[in-house]
Amino acid sequence: MEEKINGASPLNENAENAAPADKTAAAAEDCAVKFDGVTFSYAEGSAPALKNVSLTVKKGEFLAIIGHNGSGKSTLARLINGLLLPDSGKVTVFGLDTSEGKNPLKIRRRAGIVFQNPDNQMVASIIEDDVAFGPENLGVEREEIGRRIDWALKAVGMEAYRTGTPSRLSGGQKQRIAIAGVLAIKPDIIILDESTAMLDPRGRREVMGVVSKLNKEEGLTAILITHFMEEALLADRTIVMNRGEIVMQGTPSDIFLHSERLEAYNLSLPRIGRICKALQKSGVGVADCLSPEALAEEIAQEVEKLGAARRSLPYIPAPSGNSSHEWDIDVKDLTFTYSAKSPFASKALKGINLHIDEGEFFGIIGHTGSGKSTLVQHLNALIKLPQANKKYRAKKPKKGQPAPVLPHISVGQFNLADKKCDFLKLRESVGMVFQYPEYQLFAETVSADVAFGLKNFRKGITPEQTEAAVRDALEMVGLSYEEVKDKSPFDLSGGQKRRVAIAGVIVTRPHILILDEPAAGLDPLGKKEIMELLHKIHREWCSTVIVVSHDMDEIADNCTKAAVISDGEVADCASPRELFRKADELTSLGLDVPLTAKACARLKELGIEIDTDFTCEDFADKVISLFEGGKQDA
Amino acid sequence: MLNDVTFGQYYPAKSFVHALDPRTKLLFLIAFIVAIFIADTFYGMILCALALMVIVIAARVPFGSVLRSVKGILFILILTSVLNLFFHGGEHLLTPENWVIKIYREAIVYTVFLLLRLFLLVMASAILTLTTTPVRLTDGIESLLTPLKWIKFPVHELALIMSIALRFIPTLIDETNRIIAAQKARGADFESGNIIKRIKSVVPILIPLLISAFRRAEELGDAMDARCYSGSKNRTKYKKLIFGWRDLVAAIVCAALIAGVVLFNIYAAQIFPQIYEYIVIS
Repeated sequence: MEEKINGASPLNENAENAAPADKTAAAAEDCAVKFDGVTFSYAEGSAPALKNVSLTVKKGEFLAIIGHNGSGKSTLARLINGLLLPDSGKVTVFGLDTSEGKNPLKIRRRAGIVFQNPDNQMVASIIEDDVAFGPENLGVEREEIGRRIDWALKAVGMEAYRTGTPSRLSGGQKQRIAIAGVLAIKPDIIILDESTAMLDPRGRREVMGVVSKLNKEEGLTAILITHFMEEALLADRTIVMNRGEIVMQGTPSDIFLHSERLEAYNLSLPRIGRICKALQKSGVGVADCLSPEALAEEIAQEVEKLGAARRSLPYIPAPSGNSSHEWDIDVKDLTFTYSAKSPFASKALKGINLHIDEGEFFGIIGHTGSGKSTLVQHLNALIKLPQANKKYRAKKPKKGQPAPVLPHISVGQFNLADKKCDFLKLRESVGMVFQYPEYQLFAETVSADVAFGLKNFRKGITPEQTEAAVRDALEMVGLSYEEVKDKSPFDLSGGQKRRVAIAGVIVTRPHILILDEPAAGLDPLGKKEIMELLHKIHREWCSTVIVVSHDMDEIADNCTKAAVISDGEVADCASPRELFRKADELTSLGLDVPLTAKACARLKELGIEIDTDFTCEDFADKVISLFEGGKQDA
Repeated sequence: MLNDVTFGQYYPAKSFVHALDPRTKLLFLIAFIVAIFIADTFYGMILCALALMVIVIAARVPFGSVLRSVKGILFILILTSVLNLFFHGGEHLLTPENWVIKIYREAIVYTVFLLLRLFLLVMASAILTLTTTPVRLTDGIESLLTPLKWIKFPVHELALIMSIALRFIPTLIDETNRIIAAQKARGADFESGNIIKRIKSVVPILIPLLISAFRRAEELGDAMDARCYSGSKNRTKYKKLIFGWRDLVAAIVCAALIAGVVLFNIYAAQIFPQIYEYIVIS
């Protein structure tokens, strides 16, 4: 197996150099985890999830394991602490074999796992009680548990929330509590099994910061399982898995030097790598960089070297080809309060004014809890305006006070403030795909599920028409109708389920399609495919696509216009080009900016201005044309 | 920041009653129920009602929300009082002899008593749930049940089940709302149609909800395993409920209340002999 890995790996030199070192340091304590030719399959006779994997993790190491969905990386995590046992081969943790007697319990004291969904790993409704769960299980003294809670919550920076409840926290904060819950056991190894997959960028940064700190300051061995390449950059060593096998290993920068291979394993290069490659291909001699600031400096150096390059470039706006305004969306003075008139009332929207032209690929950006989901649920009247409720009676304004401003929304010819508005028709025209839409599938067969909306909206539709529409929708999302129509939606893979769910919305061919985090939780390839699918729908028949997202790079790469929602208000609404030029403002709202914007900001400091729409491709093009201009001048 | 889960009836406030140990409140409630059932004079009843008023004021919850709890059993109240009024026998007939419906004075006294009892009972329980979070309540119940460990009653497991259930109720409510919204966005109609149609329309909510609950349960099981859960053996408990001065005050009030009720029961005849027959249930 070792040869196989080395044979397949361009990094065989590294691997071989490392091997003897491992053997000399044979002391069991120094080697945290050891896999010896491990094979595992979930059901007898099914394809193995892990094939003959051998690997060692040294004590104090920070190891990243990356791989596409289904590559076996999560299986690996569960094998380490004995939640799963190998079919053949041996897994040892600090010299303890996981498949021997009571070893799993001993191992779990030393190797803790943080899972993907923060909601599903908490047992108590009060944070300190939840953190106490592990030590309680181990029979730790009461006073010592108190000390451990103090320490663990401090280590993740959540000490202020000790007596709070997790339901009000953001995803990142919840996940930090989950880490504290594992830390309270005082493990030597902490394993993060895609713990950042469901978080927004801020949450991801929080969690990664905590893990790095624990690794460096507390000396914890960290094993990070992820499909975000950006996170793997923080590790000492990276392992790439594909179909149950280790196919590459080395330092993160080693791995990213071999980008072509990553793509063959359904992984994509980080955006920064894509820009580097594009520049190198056109003869701009930048080195491979891991941060946008470093990239900016590399570019500036190159510019210096060539001397005569132009220092700034004008922006030529792309012509917008749309003149129809039949399906414009207009939102005025929209306010909304959850649980109004109760002691728990919370204002979600504080006066939103927004206009979305027909034809846009529109982005709505904001943190979890900024009100963006509440906003979009108004657009198809899932949350009705107060005036549109049957029981609504206009209140007479009190003497001397101005009449209260009523919110108003219109979508195309629909007036959502009108009681008589045909809300069913509206929902047919404004399709909405929720977050993790695959969790809303219910029917026995794929075709029945997809047809659900169609039958609701168009009473009396013939079976032939239904079949044709379902076939169309499924093929639109890239599934073969004949293959999947009679299958249970629950037998499909994660990515396929999401496609079926999207098909169930687009089956009625809505004029406006709203998607809440359509790419959440998918691996890079899955994300790319979903975004391509949306562009195809937008191009072919859907006039307006609205994507709610917290991924700035996704917005920069895909949207023609975007609104930033912060704390229930529209902070800004502009094209990505204008929006991300004001990177400082976004940062001051606590939002991220795309890495191209970061690179541009640094370049500006270095005296080079680039006017770009902040997609990776355009950024690279603009940088290249910087040099072309230079050549012409010379 | 609010400190506790927000479902159920809990009314957040800082008050004497909120700060009481949940066990004290549970025991007080039991004692209070005993008091209103052993009281057989109106004086005892009024004493209980006064005690309840004092508690409501000390709890700083709006009186309206306490009263609202009675709404739920309004139908039962009306039904029982009507039945009692008409069918309770007695000696002093109030209606003319030839009427079909016969109402006795004893029946009226008895019905008023019964109504008062039910009112006080429901309102007292409402105060418990208004001032105690479900989590604290569970802790209290667990602590009070602890002696049952001696007869091998699985107290710990029960407490863990309750704790996990409480933890997941808000999560599942969120999930249900999301699924309903998603199916509505696909044109589902949950509001009109006959019973069969409505039951059918629940299927697109129930199935995803069940599947998600099972998925969550499975993941939670793994997470508990990974955090070294192996049953109640050798387990310690971090949270300890401690009685404070408030609990002592509550205990004294409670003892005084019971004593007062009992004294009225015994001596009511001596104190007010002239109206005695009106103030006790025969």
